[in-house]
Amino acid sequence: MTVDCPAGRAIKYERDNIDTDVIIPGQYLKIHDYSELATHAMEGMDPSFHSKGGSYIVAGRNFGCGSSREHAPIALAESGIRAVLALSFARIFYRNSVDGAFLLPIEIGPDAYSGISDGDDISVDIDGGTLTDHTTSKSYAIKPFPGIIRRIIDSGGLFGYDPE
Amino acid sequence: MARTLFDKVWDSHTVVDGEGGPDLLYVDRHLVHEVTSPQAFEGLRLAGRRVRRPDLTVATVDHNIPTTRRGLPIIDQTSRVQISTLESNCRQFGVTLFGMDSPHQGIVHVIGPQLGITLPGSTIVCGDSHTSTHGAFGAFALGIGTSEVEHVLATQTIWLEKPRPYLVTMDGRPGHMVTAKDLILYLIREIGTGGGAGYVFEYAGEAVRAMSMEQRMTICNMSIEGGARAGMVAPDDTTYGYLRGRRYVPDDFEEMVDVWRGTLHSDPGAKFAKSHTVRADAVAPQVSWGTNPGMTCDITESVPHPDEYSRGDPDRERGARRALEYMDLEPGTQMADIRVDRVFIGSCTNARLEDLVQAAEVAKLGRVADGVRAMVVPGSQTVKEEAEGRGLHDVFIRAGFEWRNSGCSMCLGMNPDILEPGQRCASTSNRNFEGRQGAGGRTHLLSPAMAAAAALTGRLTDVREMA
Repeated sequence: MTVDCPAGRAIKYERDNIDTDVIIPGQYLKIHDYSELATHAMEGMDPSFHSKGGSYIVAGRNFGCGSSREHAPIALAESGIRAVLALSFARIFYRNSVDGAFLLPIEIGPDAYSGISDGDDISVDIDGGTLTDHTTSKSYAIKPFPGIIRRIIDSGGLFGYDPE
Repeated sequence: MARTLFDKVWDSHTVVDGEGGPDLLYVDRHLVHEVTSPQAFEGLRLAGRRVRRPDLTVATVDHNIPTTRRGLPIIDQTSRVQISTLESNCRQFGVTLFGMDSPHQGIVHVIGPQLGITLPGSTIVCGDSHTSTHGAFGAFALGIGTSEVEHVLATQTIWLEKPRPYLVTMDGRPGHMVTAKDLILYLIREIGTGGGAGYVFEYAGEAVRAMSMEQRMTICNMSIEGGARAGMVAPDDTTYGYLRGRRYVPDDFEEMVDVWRGTLHSDPGAKFAKSHTVRADAVAPQVSWGTNPGMTCDITESVPHPDEYSRGDPDRERGARRALEYMDLEPGTQMADIRVDRVFIGSCTNARLEDLVQAAEVAKLGRVADGVRAMVVPGSQTVKEEAEGRGLHDVFIRAGFEWRNSGCSMCLGMNPDILEPGQRCASTSNRNFEGRQGAGGRTHLLSPAMAAAAALTGRLTDVREMA
């Protein structure tokens, strides 16, 4: 995983509690091929998800609640999603995203959540702590990653992480 | 310093103190199932690692096995492969497996306690969010993802940010036919599905103390649905009585009980970051109307209007509107007027013996309504055997319920037990998310007794009117 978040299209879901069952329904958890898994991402909730060509998802509170399935961040990442920008995350989804180096779970504030529209062109500067909406030319602060999370990200996932 | 039960279990398992950052915790028990483990074992193989403590690791198959007759080949090829992969992984890495043909097979969160693998004061992980169930024994038990499963297999440890303790007091005694399931649904309805985010619940109070272990497991099980990392109940004589004599409890169990009695409780004056009280005696039977477990009301109420549910929050209002559309419900409809097509009594939340006893008490009052398909899926083969020993299977079968073998079944739509699009189900499981029980399926969460009542009447029903 890279912390590089170049300009790309945002898919916005104005919705709290987007759960792992809508991100990747249970019936597909038997699929081991990641690219095949990805074809079913967001299937129930947004059948046009793949045609939107998004690099980012913007959503409300408690994103990724529910199951511990790591298939959820995998399916999104394999669909081209580099980061999910949400008001808050469910813990297991959050850790799964960085542990396996699949995507970046970025916490944003209400200003960014209401300011960014579906289809906007956005980029994120992780080190600078800012999110830029190029469509509206507005910038927003993002919440920094807690120390360990940043170190796991920089290590390319949990198995690269060396606390020493 | 006064510490909470959670603080004590955390402190006693800390291998590396992260000094404000995450700590490295030792893991006492690692439970494994077929869905979240294949990539983890594959990772070990690729890195040339072994399972560090196969003696502390136990596996079973539950998520995608069929619950029809055992011994027949599994038709779904991907399920068959996932199950045989777990079998070969357990052989290769020396992990005990309770497989398809084992009398101890069952839902991982049912068999752990049943076999005495779950112990007070221990740390337990599993690649499944409902691992919180085991907290009923005063363990710190939490669900993890597959990368962490691999990490635990390799190191028997896990890096965790310390959640904060949250005291949930359930005062008073619940009324007639009001169960642990109703109390936990009521709690989630009050605090919301994100209400416990960043916390570990400790359940206390008169209602909790009076609960059996099976009831405590039901409330701890759904802690995750309230957003908490885990849920815990301080162990007591009920706990020790349940565990005594079970297959895997240690030989020095009684000495351990003496130690646990002196330590495994929150000290007087221990600080909780947050607290919430539920008046158990004021809770009615609960049933969900929406698409998350917080969207729940009393069976005597009607489907809420989104603006009334919103509490002035536009996001809540939008969520409710979308949920009602998905559930095909009109605001103002009496909950007890909602007809159901299917009834599912099962899952790691409500498929233990007491749950089946409660459902059978209702099932014996009549027959499954015309046009309704109802199934009972015991949480483990042992539960099934015990239930059959009491003749419960006869009660269910006579009333027109299907009596199945154990597994996760219709809780999660990844085995042959699924809803058809548009079907409405009264379900004792834990999640009513869109598509959870099958694409387009609609789920109403409720207790086993309430589910049995719905099966007999063909609609959501206040079980208090029947039994």
